[in-house]
Amino acid sequence: MKTHANGVRPMRIRRSISHLGGLLAALLLAASPAAAKDYLLTGAKPDKLVLVDAAARKVERVLTIPGGGVAPGTIVPSSDGRIAYVVSNHMGSVSGIDLDSGKQVFRADFSTGDLRVRSLFGMDVSPDGKELYVFQAPVRMLPGEYRVEDTRIAVYSTADGVGAKPVRLLPAPRRVAVLAFSRDGGTLWALGWDLYGLDPKTGAVKETHKVLNWSRANHSPPDVLDIWPQFEQAATLSTPYFTARTDLAATDPGAFRTGLMTLDLATGRMDMRDFEDTSAVIFSSVVSPVKRTEAYSVYTQLTKIDTDGGKLVKRVDLPHTYYSINVSSDGKEVYVGGTACDIGVYGTDTLDRVGQVEIAGCPDQGIASLRVIRR
Amino acid sequence: MGQKPRGPGRWPGLLLGAVAGGVVFGGALTVAQDALADDGRMQGRALVEERCSACHQKEADGSLHRIDHVRKTPEGWTMTLFRMRQFHGVALSDEEQRTLVRYFADRQGLAPEEAAPYRYVLERRPSVVEEPVTDGDLTVMCARCHSVARVGLQRRDEDEWRRLVNFHLGQWPTIEYSAQGRDRKWWEIASTEIPQTLGGKFPFRTDAWTSWQAAPKPDLSGRWAVAGHRAGIGSYGGTATVTKEATKDGDGYRIAYDLTDSAGKPLKGEGRSTVFTGYEWRGTGTLDGKPVREVFAASRDGSRLDGRWFLTQQDEVGGSLHAVRAGGADSTILGTSQSFLKAGSTARITLWGSGLDRGEVGFGPGVSAKILSRGPTSVTVEATAAADAVPGARSLTVGGAKSAGFAVYATLDSIRVEPDFTIARVGGNGGPVPPMTAQFEAVGYLNGPDSKPGTADDVRVGPMPASWSVEPFNDAAAQMEDVKFAGAMGSNGLFTPAGAGPNPQRQFGTNNIGDLKVVGTVIDGSATLTGTGRLISTVQRWNDPPIH
Ligand code: HEC
Ligand code: HEC
Repeated sequence: MKTHANGVRPMRIRRSISHLGGLLAALLLAASPAAAKDYLLTGAKPDKLVLVDAAARKVERVLTIPGGGVAPGTIVPSSDGRIAYVVSNHMGSVSGIDLDSGKQVFRADFSTGDLRVRSLFGMDVSPDGKELYVFQAPVRMLPGEYRVEDTRIAVYSTADGVGAKPVRLLPAPRRVAVLAFSRDGGTLWALGWDLYGLDPKTGAVKETHKVLNWSRANHSPPDVLDIWPQFEQAATLSTPYFTARTDLAATDPGAFRTGLMTLDLATGRMDMRDFEDTSAVIFSSVVSPVKRTEAYSVYTQLTKIDTDGGKLVKRVDLPHTYYSINVSSDGKEVYVGGTACDIGVYGTDTLDRVGQVEIAGCPDQGIASLRVIRR
Repeated sequence: MGQKPRGPGRWPGLLLGAVAGGVVFGGALTVAQDALADDGRMQGRALVEERCSACHQKEADGSLHRIDHVRKTPEGWTMTLFRMRQFHGVALSDEEQRTLVRYFADRQGLAPEEAAPYRYVLERRPSVVEEPVTDGDLTVMCARCHSVARVGLQRRDEDEWRRLVNFHLGQWPTIEYSAQGRDRKWWEIASTEIPQTLGGKFPFRTDAWTSWQAAPKPDLSGRWAVAGHRAGIGSYGGTATVTKEATKDGDGYRIAYDLTDSAGKPLKGEGRSTVFTGYEWRGTGTLDGKPVREVFAASRDGSRLDGRWFLTQQDEVGGSLHAVRAGGADSTILGTSQSFLKAGSTARITLWGSGLDRGEVGFGPGVSAKILSRGPTSVTVEATAAADAVPGARSLTVGGAKSAGFAVYATLDSIRVEPDFTIARVGGNGGPVPPMTAQFEAVGYLNGPDSKPGTADDVRVGPMPASWSVEPFNDAAAQMEDVKFAGAMGSNGLFTPAGAGPNPQRQFGTNNIGDLKVVGTVIDGSATLTGTGRLISTVQRWNDPPIH
C-alpha cells in the first residue's frame, strides 16, 4: 500500500540513525558518565507518554499515543533509550513512540478476526533491541459466546514498524505479570505463579524458580502481585510477597510476614527473604543499582529494605498512594509514581522528600510503568 | 420445557388451565393466563426471533443457542438483556426489554422453592452476610465481586456454566491477577470443577420447576391482612387491597395500603405491580408519601405474600412485609406493635393478622389483656403483666391462632446490636452517588435456660430505646481517626456516612471511610446495658445492578 511504502523507508532510515545514536551514547557514557542523565518515563491518562528530566524536576515532553484508549499501561524503553513501547488501546495494542520526534514508529494491534487479544502487563524488549515480547491473553469471540484461549507471548520484530505482526507465538503459562530479559538475552524471565526462565526462541521453560509453589515449612504460599517492571537500573527484578505462618495463631504478631523476592538478571540467582512482620501494604519495589543490597518499596508508605539482612531499615508516610517506584542511576534518589499526577522524589539516605514533578493538568498515571532511561 | 412458540390456536390449553384451577382450588385461584398475557408471549417470541437469532443460532433441536438453556429471575433476565444492549449492541427499546423480561421470566424462571434461599438479594436487604459456600470453594472462586446469590439464582447445565465462566474471564481478564484469583489456578478451576459443581447443584431441569410450570398460578387480588417491621422506626400493620389490572405485558395489580404504625398513626400507601413467573411481585408506589419499591413472593397457593419494601432512592431503608388473605376461615397473627412486656407494667399492644375478630386473646399466664378495640385484621389490648409474671418467651393466641416471638421480662440480661455487622457507604458531596446509611437497633435479650448470654437459647425480647455512640474498631481505625471522619451516629441508631471523595484533612488524603464499633446503651430500671456491633463505612458503589 502507498502509505505503507511511504512510511517504511524514512522509518528504516530513522531507525538506523537512532541505532547509531544509541551506540554513540553508549560509548560516550563509558567515557564520561556525566554526559548522559536520567530521564523518567511514565504514562498519563488517557493517552499520554510523559518524559521527565529527573534532576531538573521537570516534564521534558508529553507525547500522544495514537489511538491510545483510556490509559497507558506497561512501558518498555528500547535499549538505546530512543523509543518507548507502551501498551494502550484498552490493553489491545502496543505503540513504539520515538521520544524525540513524538512519532509512532512501531505499532502492533493484537486482535485479529474473531480473536480478541489483550496484553496483560508482561512486556520486554530483547537486549539487542530487535524483538519485543508481549504476554497476551486471547479470547475467541464466537456468535453468542466467548471462548478463552491459552495465553501466549507474541514476539514482534521492532523493525516491522507500524502494523507489525507477530513473528513468533510462544506458549506461555497463564497469569504472567512481568517479563524481563536476562542481561545476556539468553533467558526471558516470566513472573507468574512461579518465576519461569523461558527460551526466547521457543518459549520452552528452561528452569523454574518456585514462588507460589515454594516448599517453605509452616508458611502459606506467598501472595505476589507485581505488574510493574522496575528492574532496569540494578538489572535486578524485585517484588514484594506476603505470606502467613501456618504454625502461629492469626493473632500472633509474627503470623504474617512480608518479604522481597529478587532475581539477578545477570546471574539468574533468585532469593526470597522476609524483612518484616506484615504492617503495610506494598505494591512494588526497586533495587538500588549502587548499594545492591538496598531496596525501596512503595504504596502509602516508602520503605527502605536491607535485602541481605532481611530487615526494614526505614519507613516514611507518603502524601497519597503511589504504585510504582524507580531509582536514579547514582542510587541517591527514588522516584514514586503511578496513581496520581505527581512523581515524588525522595533521598535514599533519609527518605526525605526532596522534590516533585507535577504533570500539567493533573492527569492520572494509573498503573503505567515508571521507567528510567539515560539520554 | 414449557411453552414452545405457539400459534394462535391455544384456546384449549387456556380453558384446561382455567378449569383445573377452578376445580382444584375452589375458585380461590385462577390461572394467570389471559388473552392479553398470551399476546405478550407471542410478542416475546417474535422479538427473540427478530433481535436475538443473528448471534444466537438455532441448534439441531430447534432451540436457540444459549438463550433457551438458562433460567433466571426477572432481575437476572434484566441484567442479561441490559448486557446484550450495552456490550453487544442489541437494539431493544426499554419497553421491548420489559416485554422480554416478562416473557423469559415466565418461560424460564425459577420455581418459588428455587428462589427462596436467595431472596435477600432480590429484596436488597442491606446487612446480609452470606454463609460461605464451601462446595468447590464457590464463595472464594465466584463471590468476591458479587453475591453467591447471583449464582444461586440461575439454573443451567454444566456446559452453560462453562460458557458463563468463559464470558467472565474473556470480559475481565484481570480476574486471574486480583486477590483470590492469583493465589490459585483460577481459570483452570473455574473452567473445570466449578461448572461441574454448579451443573450438579443448579441444573437446568428440576422437578421444582417442572411442577411449578404445570401448577395453576394464583390470582393475588383481594383483601390482605398485613404486618411488618422497619428497623429503627418500629412495627406496622393493617390491610391492603389488591385489584387486578390487566396490562399488555400480562398480569398486573394495583395495591392500596391502609396501615397504622405501632403508635396508631395511620400509614397510607398505594402502588402498581407486575407479577412475574406467577409469584414474583415487583411493585412501585408510595408509602407514607415516599416513593417505594416492593419485592414480594406469593406462596404457591396464593395464600401469603412475603417480602420487603424499600425507598426507591435509598434501598437500604425499608421494612419487611408479611400478608395473609383477610376474611378467610382461619385466624392468623402476623405481627404485634411491640414484642415484649415488662413484668409489673401495662402497655397498649396491637396484634395484626386475619380472623382476629373472634376468640379469646391470650398472652399466657400472669398477663391480662383488656380488649380496647377489635376488628378482623387487628385487635388492640391493654396488656398488664403481673409483677411475678414468669419471664421468658411465650406465645400469643387469638382464638385458634398462635404466634411466637413475644416475651415477658423482669430485667434484661443483655443487649445485642442488630445487625452486628453491616456496611455504610460514603456518598454525596457533589458526587453522583448518594450516601448509604446504616440502621442499628439495640435488642434486649434474656439469657434463657442456660443462664448465659450470647448462646442459642437466648430469648429475644425486642428493640429497646437506646443511646448510641461509635468508637474506633481497632488500632488502625484509632490512628486514622475514623470516628472523627467517617460520619455521624444519630440518636435513633441511624448512621449517616460522611461525604465522598478524598479528604485533605486525613492522613494520606484518604476517603472518609472508617471501621467503627457501634455501641448501643440501654437503661433498664437501675441497670445500664450495652451491646456492640461493627460498621465499616466504605466507598461508593459505582454501579448498582438489580442483583448485587
Ligand atoms: C450482536 C450479537 C448478539 C445479539 C444480537 C444477542 N446476543 Fe446474547 N450474547 C451475545 C454474546 C457475544 C454472548 C456471550 C457473552 C455474554 O454473555 O455477554 C451472549 C450471551 C447471551 C446469553 C447467555 C448469558 C448468560 O450467561 O446467561 C443470553 C441468555 C443471551 N445472550 C440472550 C440474548 C437475547 C435474549 C438476545 C435478543 C434480545 C440476544 N442475546 C441478542 C451476543 C448477542
Ligand atoms: C471479577 C469479578 C467476578 C468474579 C470473580 C465472578 N463474577 Fe460473575 N459477574 C461479574 C460481573 C461484573 C457480572 C455482571 C455482568 C453483566 O454486566 O451483566 C457477573 C455476572 C454473573 C452472573 C449473571 C450473568 C447473567 O448474564 O445472568 C452469574 C450467574 C455469575 N456472574 C456467576 C459467576 C460465577 C459462577 C463465578 C465463579 C466462577 C463468578 N461469577 C465470578 C463479576 C465476577
